[in-house]
Order: sequence, then C-alpha cells, then structure tokens
Amino acid sequence: MLTLVLHNLLRRPLRHGLTLAGVALAVAVLVCITAFGTGYRQTLRGELDRAGLQMMLVPTGCPYDDAARVLKNNTLENSLPASALDLARRDPAVAVAAPFLMAALPRTDTRRTDLWVGLDETALPLKPWWRVTAGRAWFNGPDEVILGADAAALEMRAPGDKFFSPETRREFRVAGVLERSGTSDDSIFFIPLATTQAMFAQTGRLTAIAIRLKDPALVREAAPRLQEIPGAQVVTMTEMMGTFLNLLGAVRTLLLALGVIALTVGALSVFNTLLAGVVERSGELALLRALGASRTQVFALITGESLLLSGVGGALGLALAVAGGPALENLVRPWVPFAPAQTLLALDDRVLLNGLALALAAGALAGIYPAWRASRLSPALAVKME
Amino acid sequence: MTTSPQENTSVIAAQALTKIYQRGREEVRALDAVSFTVARGEFTAITGPSGAGKSTLLNLLGCMDAPTSGTLRLDDREVHGLDERARTELRRSTVGFVFQHFGLLPTLTVEENVVLPALFARRSSARRAEMLLEKVGLLHRRTHRPHELSGGEMQRVAIARALINEPRLLLADEPTGNLDSATGYSIITLFQQLNAEGLTVLVVTHNAVMTAAARRQLALRDGRLADGK
Repeated sequence: MLTLVLHNLLRRPLRHGLTLAGVALAVAVLVCITAFGTGYRQTLRGELDRAGLQMMLVPTGCPYDDAARVLKNNTLENSLPASALDLARRDPAVAVAAPFLMAALPRTDTRRTDLWVGLDETALPLKPWWRVTAGRAWFNGPDEVILGADAAALEMRAPGDKFFSPETRREFRVAGVLERSGTSDDSIFFIPLATTQAMFAQTGRLTAIAIRLKDPALVREAAPRLQEIPGAQVVTMTEMMGTFLNLLGAVRTLLLALGVIALTVGALSVFNTLLAGVVERSGELALLRALGASRTQVFALITGESLLLSGVGGALGLALAVAGGPALENLVRPWVPFAPAQTLLALDDRVLLNGLALALAAGALAGIYPAWRASRLSPALAVKME
Repeated sequence: MTTSPQENTSVIAAQALTKIYQRGREEVRALDAVSFTVARGEFTAITGPSGAGKSTLLNLLGCMDAPTSGTLRLDDREVHGLDERARTELRRSTVGFVFQHFGLLPTLTVEENVVLPALFARRSSARRAEMLLEKVGLLHRRTHRPHELSGGEMQRVAIARALINEPRLLLADEPTGNLDSATGYSIITLFQQLNAEGLTVLVVTHNAVMTAAARRQLALRDGRLADGK
C-alpha cells in the first residue's frame, strides 16, 4: 500500500512539490513562532534567576513598566530618593539592596542612544556574569568606565583608552571590558553611581533598587514593609515575569494568528492537491475498487497520500525552521518589548515534535473529504470509463 | 432458502435480473428480466450491439453494481441484499476481471500490478504471481512497467492479475477489443487454456473468433436475452 501511495505522489512531481513547499513553509513559520514564545520565557526566566533578585523598588507610578524598564536597562522618567536605599537596607529580610541610576544619552554624532548605568559594588552579587575580558572588574576612581562587550566593540575602546563624551563634556578612562553575557549589560556604559548622579544632574536620586532577600520565601513578609517606603513601590519578580509575558502576549497572538493562517493555507493546499488527484484518477480509483479494494482501503490510500505529503512537508518545515529561524528572529526582535539579549528561539524536541504532529493532524484533516469522495466511487465506473 | 442441485453446480444463476437507470425524468431499462445460469467450467460469450446492456450485466455479475430487481447467485451465494462491504468481499474472492483497456496502473511494475488484488485481499501472493506470470509467458518482464509492454503483453498481465486470488469466475469485457487479430488470437487461446483447466469464463465480446471459441453464446438485445445456446 505504501508503494502505491509513493508512486501516486511521485507521479505529479511539480504539483506535489509545490504542495510540500507550502506545507514546509507553514510548519516552519508555526514552529518558529512556538519556539519564539517558549524561548522568550526561558531566556527571561534564566536572566532573572541568574540575577538572584526577588524584587525591585521603583518610583511610584506604573510599577510594572518601571520595573521592566529598569531590568532591561532602560531609563525612567521618575526617580527614587536616596533615603529609600537606607530604609531598604535596614529591613531585616534584605540581604542585598543595590542602587541603580540609569540615563539615556542621545548621541549627536550618530543616531543611536547610549545607556549609562551608575552602580555601586553592592550590585556585583546580583550580576554573576560580571567578568572582564580585559582590564579591571571595578572602578579605581570616579572617572572610569567599564564597557559592555558590544559597547566596547562599537566605541573601539580597550582598557586604558581615553573615552570622551561630548554631550556631557566628560572624559573617562576605560577600566575594563566585560565578557559577553548575553544580557542587556552587553551594550551598557557602566560608571560609578555618584558619577552618574553628577553627570545627569540627579544628585541623591536613584532609578531603582534591586533587592535580594536572605531567603526567597520571605517575599510575602518583606514586600508590605518595603512598600511603606515613601515614594517607592515594590514589584516582585513573579509580577515582573507576568508583565513581560503580557507585553509579549500581544506580539505572540499576532504571530500565532499568522502561523495558523499559514498552516490553514498549507492544509488547503494539501486538500486541493488531493481532491484534484482524486478527480483526475477517478477511473483508476474505481479500477482499484473493481479489483477488490474496499472503501476503507481506498480511504486509507488517499489518507496515506495526505499524511505522507504533510509529514514530509512538516519534516522539511522543521529543517527550514532550524536553518532559517535565526534570520526570522532578527526580523521579529525589534517588535518584541524588552527582548532578552540571548536567543529567543527555543527549537527543542518538544517544539519540533509538536510542529510535526500539527502538520500530520492538518494533513489528516485535509485528506478526509478527498479520501471520502474517492471511497464512494463506484467500481462500475472502471467499466464505464473504459 | 432451498437450492436445487442445478444451482449447486452453477457459478452464475441469474433470475429476472433487471437494472433500471434514471436519466433525468426518463427511466432507462438497461437490463430487462434477464435469466440464465452458467455452470462451473463453462466458457460463455455474451454478444450484442452497443447499448444492449452487456456492460450493465457485467457490472452486476462482477458485484460492482446492484440490480433494481431480480436475484443473482454467484458461486452459490445470494448477491441480492448484500451490503457494499459483503459485495466487495464476494467480488474479491470469487471474480477475476479483465478489462478492454487492460486497466494496469502505469506507475507499478508488471509484478506489482499482478499482486494488487491479493494486496487488497491481504493474501500472500509472491509465489502465485511468479507462477501466473510464467503461465502467461511474461516472467521475464516482471520488473517492467506497462508502457514498456505491447498491447498483447499488457492484456496477459491483466489476465494474470485477474487470476491472482484464485477466482471461480473470470469476467472479461472485450478483452481483444484493443488488440490486432494475431495478438487477439493468442489471448483467445489463453482463455481457452484457462477454461480447459476448469476455470469458468464469461466474456463480453464483438470478436467473432472469440464468440466461436466459447462453448456457449448468449445474445443481448435491448436489455433482453435474445437467444441462448
């Protein structure tokens, strides 16, 4: 029976080739979109876990937006008073309270905007990826800068080089260049906290305070206390994760809709190919009935063709997703809010198997009507069509 | 139901077999109360002009269609009242069919074409296919495809295919209609040989040599059996 199925498909190479291409493209798009959502979640969780944060203190306003911006090294319009840091550090549940001041600096010579982050040494335990490829891992003076891997590459600076910021008219010396971490730190200019406050006229102000608790289980107990700090509000990492995923949700829904449309078009293409084949081969299918094939066997024959088309198309689609996924990711990345720096595509076994299963299910569904129609052909047609 | 001794020896027993088609509002009586029997081992030719009802009769005898009225027994089994599945089963096990245009699948080899009915019947067939191909003189062509064969060779393959499930009855629709007379004659000889081995053969034909080769002739006209010998 498989030989019969194979021979039938090889009979119309162009028609079936085009159908395979349609299915492959649809499956590739769908798999990439599924992998994208999974990858985003995994990467984000990985970043948060590596930081070992349980919560952030951000200025009052929209706490989730603020926290998301801070975590991704974006600037805030409001700021926290320095007193909030003292109060946070005094809380009995807090192990580390690391202050940050972030500022975006549009460059006059290029179209890009640099992100400057001021921090003190308490931030280091929260950045386990903080390792230098060259130079020192911390500042020796107020006018030193540590560059993220991408920032150093962009500025073409190495440790010991001078670095002038024309917009703020300040000169820095490069203390070190960080190893690539796959986080948003890669593109940041790090300077001491006090220097940032002076440079951006934010003396005594902070963008956020990242908090690690002595025990992660203390979140429920500590959050209400920290919430009492004037001008500050608490955002836990669980809430943050939800915010990120909500922001992603809109993009993902749009992409999934595209994927479903692609798969529907693929299934319709299989349907059309099979139906055309059944109409074209009516005499031959009736002949099979005349030779003793039961309706079920004819139904199975056409369903087999459908499954083979969609299965091979699906497998090609998986190969296409693995080969072309990174290019698709680059296309989609600019539309993703607060995209993690690491890959967003998680093309794991589960995603690939789901893609193949979906292709087979769509193929089986698309084959039902043509197979039913073929199975209803009268064997008498074989004599009539002679 | 009781069966007479005569019915027990007949492969075909048709009684008042009638088939009416609806063409628009018009009723077309393709077969009109046809009654006949074919005994085991007979070689019967059915003749008649176009539209006489030969193909309709062949369809009914091959369990490919159901009569409007009348009864039909094939190999001592009542066909009337059988559902589609049972008719398929009866066709598969009892009838071998040879078509005028051979009906070979172009994508399959000679051997694959021959074993096709056995595949549908879930029977093992490799050895029998080999034996049948040898019988029709085409064992050396087993891996060839139909387009590489002559008309006579294709019809021999079709005959081998019709015999793969060891049918009691071989039905043929104009088996020499697409062949030149010399090739047609070799096919007639093959039919005679099969009949001589005990196979019941019923052929619809316009070929005078084939008609003469049959031991019995039935003539159909306007859906009715005109005469029988």
